[in-house]
Order: sequence, then structure tokens, then C-alpha cells
Amino acid sequence: MKRRFLGNKLAYMKSINFVILAIVLLLTLFGFVVLYSISIPLKVPFFYKTVGKQLIWWVISVFVLIMVLFVKKKFLFDNAYFLYACGLFLLIIPFAFGLKVSETYRWIKLGTMTIQPSEFAKVFYVLGVAKYLSGENVAIDSPKSVFIPLFMAAIPFIVIFNQPDLSTALLFILTLVPMLFWAGVRTYYIFLLVAPVLSVVTAFNFYTFFAWVIVLLVILYLNSQNIILAVSMGIVNFSLGFLTPFIWNNLKPYQQKRILAMFNVWEDPQGVGYQVIQSQTAIGSGGLFGKGFGKGTQTHLKFLPQQHNDFVFSVVGEEYGFIGVIVVLLLYLVLLLLILNAAYKAKDRFSSLVMIGAISFLFLHIFINIGVTAGLLPVTGLSLPFLSYGGSFLLTCYIFIGLVVNLNRRL
Amino acid sequence: MICAQNNVAPGRKNVFRGVILIFFIVLVVRFYVLQIVQYGRYVELAESNRIRIVPISAPRGNIYDRNGNILVYNESQYNLNIIPYEITGAGGDSILEKLSTIIKLPISEIKYRMRKNWRGIFFPATICEDIDFNVLTRVEEHKLEFPGVLFTYVPTRAYTDRVRASHVIGYLREIDRNSLIKFKKYGYRWGDLIGWRGVERVYETILRGKDGYDYLQVDAHGKVLGELPERKKILPRPGNDLFLTIDMELQRYCEEVLRDTHGVVILMNADNGEIISLVSKPDYDLSLFSGVVEPEKWNKLTTNPEKPLFNRATQGLYPPGSVFKLITLIAALSEGIVDTNWTVNCHGYYKLGRRYFRCWKWSGHGTVDPVEAVAVSCNVFFYTLVRKVDIDTWYRYARLFGFGEATGIDLPAEEEGLVPNRKFLDEKYGEGGWTEGMKLNLAIGQGDLLVTPVQMVKFAAILATNGKIVQPHLAMMYYDRIKERYVHFVPEVDSITVVPENVWRILRKGMYEVVNKKYGTGYLAKLKDVTLYGKTGTAQNPLGEPHSWFIGFTDTGDEKVAIAVIIEHGGSGGSNAAVVARKVLEHYYRLKAEVVRK
Repeated sequence: MKRRFLGNKLAYMKSINFVILAIVLLLTLFGFVVLYSISIPLKVPFFYKTVGKQLIWWVISVFVLIMVLFVKKKFLFDNAYFLYACGLFLLIIPFAFGLKVSETYRWIKLGTMTIQPSEFAKVFYVLGVAKYLSGENVAIDSPKSVFIPLFMAAIPFIVIFNQPDLSTALLFILTLVPMLFWAGVRTYYIFLLVAPVLSVVTAFNFYTFFAWVIVLLVILYLNSQNIILAVSMGIVNFSLGFLTPFIWNNLKPYQQKRILAMFNVWEDPQGVGYQVIQSQTAIGSGGLFGKGFGKGTQTHLKFLPQQHNDFVFSVVGEEYGFIGVIVVLLLYLVLLLLILNAAYKAKDRFSSLVMIGAISFLFLHIFINIGVTAGLLPVTGLSLPFLSYGGSFLLTCYIFIGLVVNLNRRL
Repeated sequence: MICAQNNVAPGRKNVFRGVILIFFIVLVVRFYVLQIVQYGRYVELAESNRIRIVPISAPRGNIYDRNGNILVYNESQYNLNIIPYEITGAGGDSILEKLSTIIKLPISEIKYRMRKNWRGIFFPATICEDIDFNVLTRVEEHKLEFPGVLFTYVPTRAYTDRVRASHVIGYLREIDRNSLIKFKKYGYRWGDLIGWRGVERVYETILRGKDGYDYLQVDAHGKVLGELPERKKILPRPGNDLFLTIDMELQRYCEEVLRDTHGVVILMNADNGEIISLVSKPDYDLSLFSGVVEPEKWNKLTTNPEKPLFNRATQGLYPPGSVFKLITLIAALSEGIVDTNWTVNCHGYYKLGRRYFRCWKWSGHGTVDPVEAVAVSCNVFFYTLVRKVDIDTWYRYARLFGFGEATGIDLPAEEEGLVPNRKFLDEKYGEGGWTEGMKLNLAIGQGDLLVTPVQMVKFAAILATNGKIVQPHLAMMYYDRIKERYVHFVPEVDSITVVPENVWRILRKGMYEVVNKKYGTGYLAKLKDVTLYGKTGTAQNPLGEPHSWFIGFTDTGDEKVAIAVIIEHGGSGGSNAAVVARKVLEHYYRLKAEVVRK
């Protein structure tokens, strides 16, 4: 009896994907090295505030990850909607109790700790959507299969948008695309989901909009079995396209600037583009081998803004060079591909979709954050998994990893 | 609800894989471009971000007299600056209050100047230039109470108080826009001082040092963190020391002799053109320009009707008076128009047509030969003589002796003077509109003729050396700090060959009698121990009393000294100017004797 129990334990241990955990651990360690480097010139109390605080969060994260490893899949599946509701509840707390921090409703303050509920909501949201899409009786071929998840995304989107935090809010919608695709939803429906975005983007130029409208009409015509859907989507996209220039003109100048700075960062060196220019300068001046630990002048002389969270990757680029960048990118790539493989091999659809949800969030964070530091995308304020400073986000990433490793077990 | 089986199509998995890979490749390419392709550009950007280059002013070279006495040197001027950042926070006002009582400037004025000289919140803004040393020590003693208050050192010019020599040395001025554009390639910046007058201007490139640079590391706010460890500061190279040909003691004496008069004394070595002393009165106190020139003082100088800034020695234009009779004589004798025994009988006037041209001595000089004509400066002799000389010949000789052109002295803005020729007279009075009478006036140095005192001393030097033409100059040599050796200036030398030997003899004889015979017009200039040759001039002018001229030279065998003196409105040349010349030369030989004794 006892031996069998031990045998079970051993089998359990064997079933854990240690490679994924090892990569996560490596990335986290590297994150601490970078954070330590940044903190060297800081005064002592601030040093403890950053490195120390992050260490505490990391211990909590490891603890929670281990807990997540022992949660039963059935429990997750059965309570997914409840957990989804819990996520929404977390999001609403700051609004409900009027907890305004720095003019936003993004954080809940608990003593010296600050919690960002929108991070945890990502996990619960993934569980909820995964459950809906993995239901035995869900009709994957009907438009309903798109609309209900869309509705599930819309609620957190609206709440987070009002915090306000546009980029995080958008993540909830964007994550939906790969999950729907993975679940087998018709590409046509996913296209309809993405179409409004393209309508907005192309609307800035008459010719691009004209070309887009033709493409849209052709696709709608080819899929016009459901004539009501096709016509209504056509109308929605048309009106979006026509409204966009009007809405753009009513945006506040700083909002326009943020978007425009993406196209030509050199135009306004002291304004919005400043952060991006300094980030690119930090990365570019790192060269092949980097300037070395603690030697990044852009970092240590404070030319690089937001260096411990949004622009932490610029520090990697400056101090460890192209080689450092490649190593970190490879770690991320391997991590994502491993999870993708696990998702593919998963026996049940629920596990598979949760893993895809995790990949989606991690991938979007990684690509958008690094893209921002390299000047490929406008400044969004999205953190870099495992490397950026910030407890809630670190914990969230660890929970995702915990879920992935848990659901990846072959038992 | 029961969970469905996982049955994802492999195609969809590959789409995922493809998308992830494409995005990662995009990132890798982007970082390759930033870190490998554009590496150089970003390194430069990062460096210019953190490095601030602060120039360190180089002191200008000193200026010495011919004996090594210091005339101009450098002193330190301290400017008081405030770093705005340090006084913007709490307690900033109390710092300003304390500072305001020490520097005796209202807080509002301090704040105004801070805004006016604002270059950034971390950049020192100049509040006071050239502050008093007491203020400096008082603030430095309580340094801790004045965070953000700092002093910057600026080398400024200081001048000896034993001599003025203002027109020789000249002053510095803040560089103006045009000069800045012209000299930017030599490293001039806004606010730099540049030689504006005198040798300070002419020898600007020699005197000016090369500024050094301090490389400071700054952070994103522009806050200085210290010197750059990997880039050493470049020390400034002081300018080269300049040695003038001026004798400070004699210069001082000349200034004293000319005190309260308007006039010029120039003493020059006739053999090599070294100017031993050059004084133009009235002059000004150079120390006015050593620090910040107060606008009231500057206005007072420029609007002074006596024009102290004006260098009469090189810019003053005067009719030469009787001195020019020598030119008329040289032309006539050298061209063989008359011979040296040619005489004129002076009755006190010369009649041309219906006009009478008077001799200065109304009773007349009787029969005069060339020597006596020079000695007594007989107008009638030269009236008669110039009738035989055509204007073109006369003009040629005047030009031969350097009139009507700059002498090339190393002082800025030298005047050329004016010697009228046929063309000039035709243009001014119309062809045929001028008469022989005009020529008569020119023959005795009146009419349209204009000369500068420095042309006159050059003329005296040519007479002293029988035709050697030297370029008058004030700079003897400088010490080249790079080559570590003295570099001598080599003046231009030329000679007049068309004047025969006997003419020089006659001239010298005449000039000897001017000074050394009782009947000579310059008898008052007679020296006790040294023979002086001279010629007086009395330049009529419409403004009042005639200007008093004296030119001359001594010849002691080993050395020939030329002198030119003009006293504005000083009456006849034989009185005022001759006396000044005697005093100056006597002092010169006294000083020389002292040196020999030592």
C-alpha cells in the first residue's frame, strides 16, 4: 500500500514537464540578474524595494505554482465558469470600492503590496472560454460559437478599458482568435471577428479601404449561406470604416501622437518617441556582445525609461548584446513550442484550450513588449513574462505555467 | 457538461507554429539591424547622450616690451552661477535670500538673470560676472549653505599700471556675429573675447590659446556625475607670449610729455623699423576693458568729442606742412631740374599772375640756396622751385617716400593719407579748373595733402638711412609654445635708388641746420650730446591754430633713430613739436646711457 503510494508519487513526479519549468526558472533568474543590475546605483531602500519585493513575489509565485500542480483537472473543468465569475469580481473590486490609485482603477492595495486584478483575470478568462469551447454539445459550426466567447471577452474588455488600460483590454479580444481557431471554429467566423479591425486600419486611406472593401465583399459573397450574417457584417464593417476618420479626428492629440509615434519615432525626440529612441539607442549600442553587467550607460544614467518593467528587454540588449537577445528569444521560443506541443498532444479539448490560452497571452506579451523596445510597435505598457518587474504579472505567468504543466501530465 | 476529446487538426498546429516562428524571425531580424547593422550609429547616440563637453578657456599670451617688462597679462575673473534645479525645491527661496544680501542684488533680479541665462534646469546660469573677491570668499566659506551656487573661472586681461600704451596694445571685445561666422573654424564660440584693436587684434592668432575640454558624464536629467573615466580632459594651451619693440620706460615718458595735449609721438629705429615708442593722445585706460565693460563707460568713451579711442598715429590725417618741402626739393634735385647751387632771392612773397604767395617771413630771407631753404623753411624758394617741377614728377617722388599708401605698420585700420595727382585734381576741380597756385600750395605741404604721423616717421627713417625703406612695426618676436622657441618678425625692406648721393648730403646738411643753427626753424630741438637732424612743419588747418610738426633723426653711427611729432593746434612746428622731440630724444639717450652704465 505504502509502496504503491510512493510509486504513485514517483509517477506523478515523472509526469511533470521539467523542461518547461527549467526554462521558466532560467528566465526568472535572468530577470533577477537584470533587475539587480538596474538596482546597483539605486539607494539602499529602493534597492530592497525592487529586488526584495520581486523576490517575495517570486517565492509566492513558486508556492502558488506548486499548489496549482496539485489541483485536479475535474475541479478546474467543473468550476471554470465560477472561476471566470471570480475573475470578473476581482476586476470590479477597485470600481466598487472606489480604490483609485494614480488616477486609475487598475490596482488593489493590500498594505505594501499592490495587486493588479486584470492580470489574474486572464487566467480565469482562459478557463471560462476553454470550458465553453470544449463543451461536448457546442456547435462549433454555428456563429454562436463565436458570439458567446466574444461576449465572455467583452465583459472584461469593457471593465479594463474603463480602468483605463486599453492594451490589456485588447489582449482579451486578441487571445480569443487563437483559441477559437484551435477549437476548430470556421476560419470565416474568425475572419468576421478580425474584419472590423482591418476596416478601421484601412479606413485612413481611400484606396486601401476600397481594396479592403472588395476583398471583404468577395469573402462575404462566397460564404453567403447565412445571408443575414453576411449582410449585417457588411454593414458593420462599412459603417466602421466610414466612422473611423471621424473618430480619429476626435481623439485627444496625445492619443493620436501615441499611435503616430509608431510610424516615425525620430520625428519627436522629446515627446512620445523619446522612450522608443532611448530604448533603440540602448539596444543598438549593445552591439554583438553587449556592454556587460552593470555597464549599460543608457540604463544606468537613466536615459532608458521604465527600465525595470516595460523596457527591461532594452537592458538585456544593451548589457548582453545581440547574443543575449538571441538566447532570451530562444528560451521564449522553445517554451512556447513546448506548450504548443503539449496542447496538441493533450487528450481532452479543455486542457488543450487552456494551454492555447496560456500560449496566446504569453506570446502576445512577449512579442508586443519586445516589439515595443525595438520600435516595431507603439508603446503599450505590456510587461515581459518572467523578466519584467511586477508581482501580479509574475504570479499570473506562473499560474499559467502551473496549469500547463498540470494539464500536461499523462495521468 | 462533459468535456470533448481533443482532436485538433495537425494543420492548425502547424499554422500556430508558423505564426510563432515568423514573429520570432521578425524580432531577430529587427535586433540584428539595430545591434549589428546600425551599431555604430547607436553607439554614437548613446555617447552623445551621456557625454557633455565643457570647454576650458585658455589664457591669452602675455605681452612684453622690448626689455621684457610685462605690459599685459591675465587675471582670473570669477562668475557666479546658479544651478536652477538646486533652488527650485523647498528652501530654495531662503538660499536666494541669503545670496541676495551677500551679492547685494534683489531676489527678483537674480531670478530674472537666471531666466535670461537659462540653459536647462541642471545647467549653471550666470548671475554675476566678475564678482568681487570678498563675495567669493564669503560664499565659499559657507559653501554648504549655498547648494547649487558655483563659480566659474574666466581668464581676463590685466594691464600694467606703469604705462598706458592703449593704442599700441588695444583691447578685446566679445566676438560679434560676423567675426564668429568667419572664425568659427578656428574654434571661436559665442561669448569669446577677440582682439579688437592694436596688436591684440593684429596678433590675435598668435596670442590666442587653444581651449581645452573637459569630458563630463551626465545622466538623463543633465546632472553632472563626474569626469569621464575613459576620456581624459584636454588641457588648454595658453597663447604665445608677444614681445613688442616698445620701450616701456620711454613710452611712459612720452605719454607724460604729451599729457593734456592732442598729439602723437613716434620714435622708431630707422634701420629696422622697430617702433620704440608710439603715443597718441588723448588715450584711454585699457583696464576699463579688462572685465565687463559697463555700458555707461563705453558710451562715455565713444561719444567723447576728443576721440580717445581714435589712434591718431595711424588714423589721424593731417596736412604735412613745411615737412613736405623736402619732397619738393628731392624731386627737383634728383631729376636734375636744378643743381645744388641753385638759389632764389626771397623778398617775402612770390607773385603768380595777380596773386601773391607769401613767405612765412614777411621781410624775406634774401638769397637762399637749397640748404638754407630747408634750414629756414623758405616758402618762396619752394614756390619758385616747384614751378619748374611738373605735378607728375612731384607726385612720383611723394609716393616714392611712402606717402599716399599705408606703411604696413602692425596696427589695424591704418589710413593711407592722400597725395593729389593730376587725375585727382582734374576730378576734384575739373580739367583745367586747378591752377599752378594749387601746386604752389602742395610744394609747401598744404592744399589737399594728407599724411599720417606714422608715414612721417617712416619718411624720417628713409632720410636717416639715405633711402632704406623699412616697414614700421611694433612686434619684435613671440615665443612659440609648440615649437618651444622664439620667432622673430621680419619686416619688409626696400630702398630708394633714384636719389643720388649728393642730394642726400644736401638734405642732411639742411636738416642739420634746421636744428643746430640758431637761424634754423627747429633750433629748440637741439640736443646736447647727440646730433639731431630735423625739419619742422606748421600745418595750416581750417579748425583753428595750425598743427605743429617735427620730424627728424639722429645718427650715432651704430644706430639711427627717427622721430615724428605732431601737436594738434600746437602752433609753429619750431616751438611746440620741436620741444617735445628734444625732450623725448634726450630721455631716450638718458635711458640708453643708464643701460650702458648698468
